[in-house]
Amino acid sequence: MAKDNERREKLCYTLPLGPQHPMYVEAENLMVRVDGETITGVEVNIGYMHRGIEELMQRKNYLQGIFLAERICGICSGIHSVTYCEAVENALGIEIPERAKYIRTITLELERLHSHFLFLGVMAYELGLDTGFMYTWRDREHVMDMLETLSGNRVNYGIPTIGGVRRDLPAGEIPGMLKRLEHLRKRAEHYVILFSSDALVRKRTLGKGNLPKGKANSHSIVGPVARASGVNTDIRRDLPYLLYDELEWNVVTRMEGDVQARVMVKAYEIFESISILKQCLNRISRTTPELKTKTSLFVKENEGMSITEAPRGELVYYLVSNGTDRPERMRIRTPTFTNVPSALPIILKGEQLADLPVIVGSVDPCFSCCDRVTIVDERTGESRGVDEAFLRKLGEENGD
Amino acid sequence: MAIETILSALVYPGLVFIVFMSFLYSGFMRKVAARMQHRIGPPLWQPLLDVIKLMGKEDIRPEQSKMGFTFWPFIAMVSIATAGLLTPIAGSVPLGNSDVFVLLYFLIFGTLALYLSGFSSSNPFSVVGAVRGVVQMIGYEFPFVVSLIVSILAAGSVFPIEINNFQVYNGWISLSFPLAALAFFVSLLAKVEIPPFHVPEAHQEIVSGYYTEYTGSRLAMIIMTHMLKLFVLVSIGIVFFFGGSVSLFSFLWKSLAIVFLATLSRVVMARMRIDYVLRFCWIFGFVGLIDLARILL
Repeated sequence: MAKDNERREKLCYTLPLGPQHPMYVEAENLMVRVDGETITGVEVNIGYMHRGIEELMQRKNYLQGIFLAERICGICSGIHSVTYCEAVENALGIEIPERAKYIRTITLELERLHSHFLFLGVMAYELGLDTGFMYTWRDREHVMDMLETLSGNRVNYGIPTIGGVRRDLPAGEIPGMLKRLEHLRKRAEHYVILFSSDALVRKRTLGKGNLPKGKANSHSIVGPVARASGVNTDIRRDLPYLLYDELEWNVVTRMEGDVQARVMVKAYEIFESISILKQCLNRISRTTPELKTKTSLFVKENEGMSITEAPRGELVYYLVSNGTDRPERMRIRTPTFTNVPSALPIILKGEQLADLPVIVGSVDPCFSCCDRVTIVDERTGESRGVDEAFLRKLGEENGD
Repeated sequence: MAIETILSALVYPGLVFIVFMSFLYSGFMRKVAARMQHRIGPPLWQPLLDVIKLMGKEDIRPEQSKMGFTFWPFIAMVSIATAGLLTPIAGSVPLGNSDVFVLLYFLIFGTLALYLSGFSSSNPFSVVGAVRGVVQMIGYEFPFVVSLIVSILAAGSVFPIEINNFQVYNGWISLSFPLAALAFFVSLLAKVEIPPFHVPEAHQEIVSGYYTEYTGSRLAMIIMTHMLKLFVLVSIGIVFFFGGSVSLFSFLWKSLAIVFLATLSRVVMARMRIDYVLRFCWIFGFVGLIDLARILL
């Protein structure tokens, strides 16, 4: 018996996954405690992608903040700048023109489309199915092209500005975009079939990484991950912003809470996004051509808050203004920050090590969004906030 | 006579031909897979360029690595190449006639040497990859051996060249024993680690598996071993199941057809988990046993 225990002890060890690991695109660390091949515990250490953006935003004026917000995430750059602008507009107490709302909604939904296609590709890649990865990313190019016709850029669109949007959608492009959307809908149907019927994919995703509804509620999981566990939540419906209360669309939920459900929620959300986009593109010609409300960029003492549904879940921007052209305090909470540290330890426990990349991938982590102001001491596991004095000291230590 | 023997061992159908053909198969597979995935893909001679480039790169040896780190890739490459020289190609054996067991011995030893290179590099990812490789071996050797026994019993000889000639005169063995041929094809995919069997080098899970630590010329040797293994197994497939070959033309079209089928599997399959691999391979082993029972009863 004692010998058995000793052998067991030997098989239990801690695997450091990351900060550099091919599973991630970005740097993050998971300390995985395994018993043989079974995962018994996970410690998530975030903080490797911290760039001090909130602090930097407080030193720049409101217009410069848009550019910073856009560069928080490479995938969901549009939603960050829109949410930032909304928070500033809230503090200013202004309303944006109807057409600007349409263009913002179109940008956001196109972005959701490309993010979801990207997610399906990443899932296929994690499953070792390279062809699925190539196909989904090829189809994603259509979305990128549409974003380019809309904004002139593929990644950081530079569309929203405080009080409205910068560029108009050329009316001549709308029929072509509708055609592309129809093509994408057909492709998405194909991927739904792929992920729900391929025997190997089913075997590797069904019943893996279970997140029960109760846990999803108690750990405040947001976005598609929560919806896949049966939590009926979507900021677009619960706290409508832009045009979402005028358009017809559904919130996709699943009850199972496993990897397959998370993939399916995102796959079906593609159809909803396409439907929203079609409605917007058909209605946009009815609006007046006004794009922007003129406003002063000195915000009186106030606070502004904006909550939106990013492709990965609830995104919160909160700012305190002090009468100058710079925010007094800026706070950003991204969906990955709520999802990854709280969900991963639950869904990885008891799973096989070989399933880890698939399960981590199914939460769709976006670490560069996530790392804000908390830094984690690697040796002691302590985490603490970052103040201005610390950042200044850091800057002095590292030169410039 | 002597000069002919040397030329046959070294040039055609010997070493030069084998190396050239394994580059061709690998390039063909990459190009076809790329076209199936809507990519343009590398040129046909890209594997050759890869190996030439790697030969000129720095060779880094980790401090923690054991002695075997330096020589196992070389042994793996040499023994797989030897297995290639013992396989009939287009009706003649480069190294002269020998029975199938010697061929199998070199094939298995070469594969084991690959995994030993993983064990000796002392990297956790390499060790996990090598363990997975050995476990996968337990899976695929069973259907492989069963299917070969079916072919040997059907042809009534243990000499590959005689099985080859038997098929040339009496028709394809895979037509009379399709289940054994199926078991053989599955074990071929598993042996050369083509998806769904790319478990020992699962990029997303364990970096590059057993060859994570290798660089430069030793990595080139490992890549050469992979390509040679594909060549040897395709040749074995032709000799034992797919009608044999006496002319270069029939050898070429049959081998490219088998490589094409393997490419299809590579393109459409996701990765299995190691425990599924074992179960899957053994199921096909038992499927092969049905044909073995048919031949014995």
